[in-house]
Amino acid sequence: MCVELLPELITADPWGYPIIAPGPVPGHLLPLARRAVAACPTLALLLNQDK
Amino acid sequence: MSTARAIRAAGPARRVPPPNGLPRLIPPDAPLPLADHIARYGPVPLRATDLITEVERAGLTGRGGASFPAGRKMRTVAEAGRRSGPLRGLGGTVVVANGAESEPASGKDRLLLARAPHLVLDGIALAAEAVGATRGYLSLDERQDELALQLAAAIDERERAGQNRVPVQILGVPARYVASQETAVISQLNGGAAKPTFVPPRPFEKGAHGRPTLVQNVETLAHVALIARFGAGWFRDLGPAPDPAGPPGPGTGPAAGSALITVSGAVNRPGVYEIALGMPVGELVRWAGGPSERPQAFLAGGYFGGWLPYDQALGVAVSDPALRAVGAALGSGVLVLLPESACGLAETAWIAGFLATQGAGQCGPCVNGLPALASMLEQLAFGRPDREALGWAQRLVTLVARRGACHLPDGTAAFVASALDTFADEIRRHAAAGPCSRVRRRPVLPAPGYAWGQRR
Amino acid sequence: MSGFATTLLASPAAAGRVAPGAIVITSTTPLWYLTRATGLVALVLLTLNMACGLLTSVRYQRPAWPRFVTIGLHRNVALLALAFTGLHIVTTLADSFVPIHVQDVFIPFISAYRPLWLGLGAIAFDLMLALAVTSLLRTRMSYWSWRLVHWGAYLCWPVAVLHGLGTGTDTSVRWVLGLTVACVALVAALTGWRLAYGWPSHAAARLAGALALVLALIAGSAWLTAGPLRPGWALRAGTPSHLVSGSSKSGGTR
Repeated sequence: MCVELLPELITADPWGYPIIAPGPVPGHLLPLARRAVAACPTLALLLNQDK
Repeated sequence: MSTARAIRAAGPARRVPPPNGLPRLIPPDAPLPLADHIARYGPVPLRATDLITEVERAGLTGRGGASFPAGRKMRTVAEAGRRSGPLRGLGGTVVVANGAESEPASGKDRLLLARAPHLVLDGIALAAEAVGATRGYLSLDERQDELALQLAAAIDERERAGQNRVPVQILGVPARYVASQETAVISQLNGGAAKPTFVPPRPFEKGAHGRPTLVQNVETLAHVALIARFGAGWFRDLGPAPDPAGPPGPGTGPAAGSALITVSGAVNRPGVYEIALGMPVGELVRWAGGPSERPQAFLAGGYFGGWLPYDQALGVAVSDPALRAVGAALGSGVLVLLPESACGLAETAWIAGFLATQGAGQCGPCVNGLPALASMLEQLAFGRPDREALGWAQRLVTLVARRGACHLPDGTAAFVASALDTFADEIRRHAAAGPCSRVRRRPVLPAPGYAWGQRR
Repeated sequence: MSGFATTLLASPAAAGRVAPGAIVITSTTPLWYLTRATGLVALVLLTLNMACGLLTSVRYQRPAWPRFVTIGLHRNVALLALAFTGLHIVTTLADSFVPIHVQDVFIPFISAYRPLWLGLGAIAFDLMLALAVTSLLRTRMSYWSWRLVHWGAYLCWPVAVLHGLGTGTDTSVRWVLGLTVACVALVAALTGWRLAYGWPSHAAARLAGALALVLALIAGSAWLTAGPLRPGWALRAGTPSHLVSGSSKSGGTR
């Protein structure tokens, strides 16, 4: 489902699991990323903030 | 609550001469009873030096597979322990000596614990003092009953002689490939399953019982025990001298000290050898009696390592940077020589199938991807592979890498990727003429409890 | 203020004995109608909510209906259902006709009015609160704790339905009964889909669930025909006798 919500950064593997594009989340996608993380049914996504 | 104790010096303090050359860890007259051990090496030298700095200067890297700098790890745990000071929870930090050795082709940890237990236990005591630990654990394959009894006796003997800095408890770890991973051991210590964990915090922040935890391979701790007595300079006095000329490129950085390597496969004298890191592979093979039949390739670094064609590997130094530069790794010091009478493709399919049964079942990409990869490899080895099969295998390799909570999928991916590269000619031959006759021989690589095609 | 539609009989009601055609006195104030109306709407919304939840669990998806639509609906309908349940409760409390007080809303089985059936409503409401709070805090709690509480939905919904059938004074009204049956049919069908999805993993649990579903439907229908649909239910359900009338003409329903 995160693939639906954030197709710019997430694609699906043959079994439906998310493949996340490497690199930091661009600023304009940050609210959408937060929404995708909150929407994951199994809370499998994590938003990490590195200083 | 466990508390740290002072170590009783056994006899007057005196300078003990350092071991000259090799072997260092396992002398010919091993195992030494405690009294002889103290006579040869001196008692545990607590507070004799700033141990962490000495270990850092020595350049000791972890011998459990990741080759992570041991000094840096100890410093991180010590600092984390200081930060979560006496007001924030009681109980100090924790030291775990990891001797579970779930790599099937490795036997060095078992041997070290059987022949030089007191060096390892010294290392636990020293590390405990350096990081402020109040309790210690020694993890062991749960099937090793006899060894566990011997170690328990050794710990008790040291207790009576006042040589334990912290109480040490033996932990039996299930015989699964991922169960000896750092976070898996800690998960088990905390009462959970012996499976790697993903969510932060990391062990050095919050590990066993919520305390910052230092997890080190038993061989690493044995080296620590010697470095504490004889210093960083002595430790480094075995490896090749660093190149003073240019900046160290990959594979040219100085490898430090000695390491235990398990040599097996088609050699005349398979076994565990202690070598100076940086020794060429060819020399090690000579030490092991040379090839017992026509050699084909090496597997270096265990099942998370990589394949190397025989001729190209002979000149490569046995050290993590050098091996990584050619697509393999040092891992936990495993070197297997594959003879020409075996099929590299079949061996790879065999181990990929084994690894697919070793997952924790926690992460979709691994649960789905590894069995699919194993099936593809079996197809390549035993069927008449078309371009699609090879393409699928390559795609699966990239699909599983770095998408799990532990390194099982990554390690498997690297292993398979190097096989697809090293055995590319073999793949072409299979594609043209079907499976070779060598696929039917018994596999050289050990895979305990696994049968062909098994998937769970 | 209240407007009673009818008057009490003299001695037989006071003595507790009521003639077979006894009916409940109902108030005709707006509050009473609101209570029944909001209760029905809450039931429908709760049913739709269960439907969204079940569709989520079977990963329902179409090109024009991505999964996040189901999840989004699930959250919004849940909040609506909670709102209407809140209204339903508030109007009941505000209506001084029936002896229902604030504590009866949260603590089951202590009310003076149909204690068992009202108590079921309290249970359903408590569960709804637990579901709502844990879901709002989902990212801050352990996944399995959240999941465990969320399974309470399978208890909450049937309890709410029973509450409606047992407490409601409109149960035997044809369209109300029909609506309730439709809701049950929808949830039963989707639950059946949920039980079948992913077969044969956890086969034992699936079969147990299917058995429970079938038994619940049978038991529920049996109870319905022998209970609320028979005359005299009001008194058997625990309506205080002073609210039950033997007269055949009143502004309420049977």
